[in-house]
Amino acid sequence: MRALVVVAHPVDDSFTHAAASTAADALRRAGHHVDVIDLYAIGFRAAMSTEERDAYETDAPVLDPQVAEHVELLRQADTLVFVYPTWWSSMPAILKGWLERTMVPGVAFTFDGTNRVRPGLTHIRRIVGISTYGSKRLYVRAINDNGRRTISRALRLSTGVRARLDWLALYGIDSCSSEERERFLDRVSTRMVALR
Amino acid sequence: MWVISCHPVPDSFTRAACQRAINGLALAGHEVRHTDLDADRFDPAMPAAEWRHHLDGPETKPAIAAYLEHLRWCDTMVFVYPTWWTGQPARMKGFIDRVFVNEVAWDLPPGADRLRPRLGHVRRLVAITTHGSSKFVNALEGEAGKRIITRAIRVLCHPLTRTSWIALYGMDRRTEDERRRFLDRVEHRMSRL
Repeated sequence: MRALVVVAHPVDDSFTHAAASTAADALRRAGHHVDVIDLYAIGFRAAMSTEERDAYETDAPVLDPQVAEHVELLRQADTLVFVYPTWWSSMPAILKGWLERTMVPGVAFTFDGTNRVRPGLTHIRRIVGISTYGSKRLYVRAINDNGRRTISRALRLSTGVRARLDWLALYGIDSCSSEERERFLDRVSTRMVALR
Repeated sequence: MWVISCHPVPDSFTRAACQRAINGLALAGHEVRHTDLDADRFDPAMPAAEWRHHLDGPETKPAIAAYLEHLRWCDTMVFVYPTWWTGQPARMKGFIDRVFVNEVAWDLPPGADRLRPRLGHVRRLVAITTHGSSKFVNALEGEAGKRIITRAIRVLCHPLTRTSWIALYGMDRRTEDERRRFLDRVEHRMSRL
């Protein structure tokens, strides 16, 4: 398996980073190849530029060498792992921007002759989402988990719905004890080791 | 009326829609403030310092002070943006991440696990957006952007806050005439808000 782990959190010693390294270590222990993109650590630019928007519908929509590198990793991967805190029911802007700038036409999807969208990520067999939430589970359900929806629905239009989705969520993180946090990291580890 | 717009291309359809929305609001005699996130070169990635001060007051986030002044002032927020990957472009999501802060948009009483809303002065939320794909595909994808505004942001506002969703679906297949009609609709709806 080749896994691409994408992490989005502004603080290095955050719980999100702990979850991401737990996941990456577990995958490596299980003998898989793991690439990690830490969006804040590399100073990833979230906003699409004017030039990129103008190039979006051309044959060469990728202008930034850093994005080109990520596209290459994306093409080699068969597993995508997203690790982020849920803010305002969705993913942090830096991760949303990563989707917008790497998942461009010719990479994530193609337009066929009739202008219909065809999936471009059918080599991705598995997607994992690991996210923390300030709110409790019921509240997240009521507001809707829009980050999860974007990944489970919009992204899976690009991978095909046969790509399996695993979702690991820690709800009500602000009121969690350190034991509960530890247990969550253990769960991340166990699930990643068992990933087939 | 606080209009917040986002699109990287100066002569884009989104910019045109934003201008027509402002025209409509002005026509109705409203006082309008406009924030163009791209002209401001707004940085969507919340800096580490702002995250660390997540539970502190707005004085810890000087970079967004001007936006907070608008947020305290307005009774209506109008979001104008293209829908990308089912939601707001990263630049606008970053605006939401960074500007809806403690002691202005919400607070967290000791021991509570749910935010207490503080935008009771906001009574109307408007979204004006374009979608490349059809309404059907968007429904299938779950309309994340719509739910971020009509649910996640709305719960911070007045309990009777009304939301208006003005959307052009299947943008890539629309004729010039249909686009023009949409712009007319935007101005008309805004003039009658």
